Amino acid sequence: MGINVIKLVFLKELKDIFRDKKTIFMSLVIPLTIFPLLFLVLGGSMDKSMKQVEENLTVAIVDSGNSSLSQFLHNQETIKLVESTDVEADIKSGKILVALEIPANFDEDIIAEKPADLALLYDNSSQSSQMAFSAVSSMVDAYSKVVIEERLLARDIRGDLLTPVVIDARTTEKEEEGFGKFMLSLMLPLMLVIFSITGPMGVAVDLGAGEKERGTLEPLLTTQAGRLSLLWGKFFAITVMGLLSTMASLLGLLFSMRQEGGLFQGSAVSIEPITLVLIGLVTLLLTMFFGALELSISIYARSFKEAQTYISPLTMISFIPTYATYMLDAKNIETYYFHIPLANISCILKEFLAGIYNFTHIGITFAWIIIYIIAAVLFARYMFSKEEVIFRT
Amino acid sequence: MIEVMELSKRFRKILAVDGISFHVAKGEIVGLVGENGAGKTTTLRMLATMLKPSSGTAAVNGYDIVQQPGQVRGEIGILFGGEVGLYDRLTGRENIGYFAELNGMTKAETSASINELVKLLDMQEYIDRRVGKFSRGMKQKVAIARSIVHNPSVMLFDEPTAGLDVSAARIVQDFILHCKQENKAIIFSSHSMSEVEKLCDRIVMIHKGKIVEQGTVAELKGKYRNDNLEDVFVQLVGDNNGN
Repeated sequence: MGINVIKLVFLKELKDIFRDKKTIFMSLVIPLTIFPLLFLVLGGSMDKSMKQVEENLTVAIVDSGNSSLSQFLHNQETIKLVESTDVEADIKSGKILVALEIPANFDEDIIAEKPADLALLYDNSSQSSQMAFSAVSSMVDAYSKVVIEERLLARDIRGDLLTPVVIDARTTEKEEEGFGKFMLSLMLPLMLVIFSITGPMGVAVDLGAGEKERGTLEPLLTTQAGRLSLLWGKFFAITVMGLLSTMASLLGLLFSMRQEGGLFQGSAVSIEPITLVLIGLVTLLLTMFFGALELSISIYARSFKEAQTYISPLTMISFIPTYATYMLDAKNIETYYFHIPLANISCILKEFLAGIYNFTHIGITFAWIIIYIIAAVLFARYMFSKEEVIFRT
Repeated sequence: MIEVMELSKRFRKILAVDGISFHVAKGEIVGLVGENGAGKTTTLRMLATMLKPSSGTAAVNGYDIVQQPGQVRGEIGILFGGEVGLYDRLTGRENIGYFAELNGMTKAETSASINELVKLLDMQEYIDRRVGKFSRGMKQKVAIARSIVHNPSVMLFDEPTAGLDVSAARIVQDFILHCKQENKAIIFSSHSMSEVEKLCDRIVMIHKGKIVEQGTVAELKGKYRNDNLEDVFVQLVGDNNGN
């Protein structure tokens, strides 16, 4: 009887949910499309500002003597020289990106082999100006190299004397994957925790408070079905929907990472199947925990609106432990982190992504998740059995 | 049949139902009459095992509401007034079928029972459409069918005509009389004295959780020498308030 009722409730709820266009849109379509769209726009605008600086590197040179440096810069094709009477004001207004102030005795100092002063002005609150600054700095570096070569040549010394060591940088990750992996280890734990909360939210509200608001809860309680069977059926339906929603978000995220012209510039990240399975398992369990918790809150609430008001702070609260571990490096996370709720989830996901399988950490985290789920389900059971909660209208 | 024995329910400091006893025989309609907050709904909820009594008990077709709540729920059908409480995205048939199967009926039994009810209530035209766009009268019929689909022996009606227009109320009243013909034991709660007088064999008047009077319509009119039941009720309740 029990199992049949659970199955009956589960299937009915899923049928009901899938017929609701609003819920399908909110929990499947939006998660699937939000990241590709977001990253496409982000990547596009970053690309655009980089191109702008490259094509329009406006520089003003205030040169008191006609120095060799300013001639060197004149010969650079990428630079667009602009006359300016008030460089500071023009940088602030964005008319020019960078200004150089070359003192009158600059060439004298260079010839005398004394350190020559040079002022580089830029707006450190503007991204374009900062990019222009580094572009101009490297040009000045190139000029310095020319000067050094000349000096060494005059002394009959080989140029490579000043480069005793040549570094050949090799990466452990495939070079094109490194950035993607780094971004993923920062973002994915955070995203997965948030998805686990938001995924089951809409459905949990509908299946608890919604049932009260529509007046279907009372007739339901007069059937032979036990309250616990009703609870389990609903709980599994919420879990399935939460999981589908999380998977939709992940799919969107992975798709956006392969997107040409997006933020990741198509830097495809290959994740091992075992890692995916483990990440999926953690997400499933976390979704079950939040699903049960949200269902308990939802059944306590009198209406949709009240349920949403009670449940939305969960997202904010869970930000704290998840953000606290945001910048941790997967390679050396101390064990005590694995006892902090949600921080442990975020840490274990980081480790999985880095290919670290520390059995102590895995054991502690999974033990805690199981405890969270049992506690949340017991709480939901308690709420479903309380007359004051069920008939709170 | 229903046998209510010294049934009480306390919500924190409020004694909502205070030691009431009455019985309902097969094929009998008993009207539960009282003001808002008198304890009518609480009594019906206890009989439906949605609420646990604080003390006392009741037997529904021999099953104890405290000891055998599952069996009791199998014996009862319940129809509420106000919101009909249907799932808008399910069809009429799916709505009724869900409750039939929750009551332990097989698919075949469910299908047969629904087909019969569709004919009885004349719902052929819309039974396979989604409930969301139904008129109030159509919804009411689906709710009625849902309450009786598992062929219960006892029917509980909690102000079922509240907020209904005349024709929708008539559908419900005809249904109650149909249940009587089928020899079900029926409790009907209302605060409309004319409706109670029209439908009920006996009346139980409750006030502040206590039974202030019970008997057939004729008995009550005779005892208080008044042909107007409403006057009798006001007199009884007024006396009680005075004390």
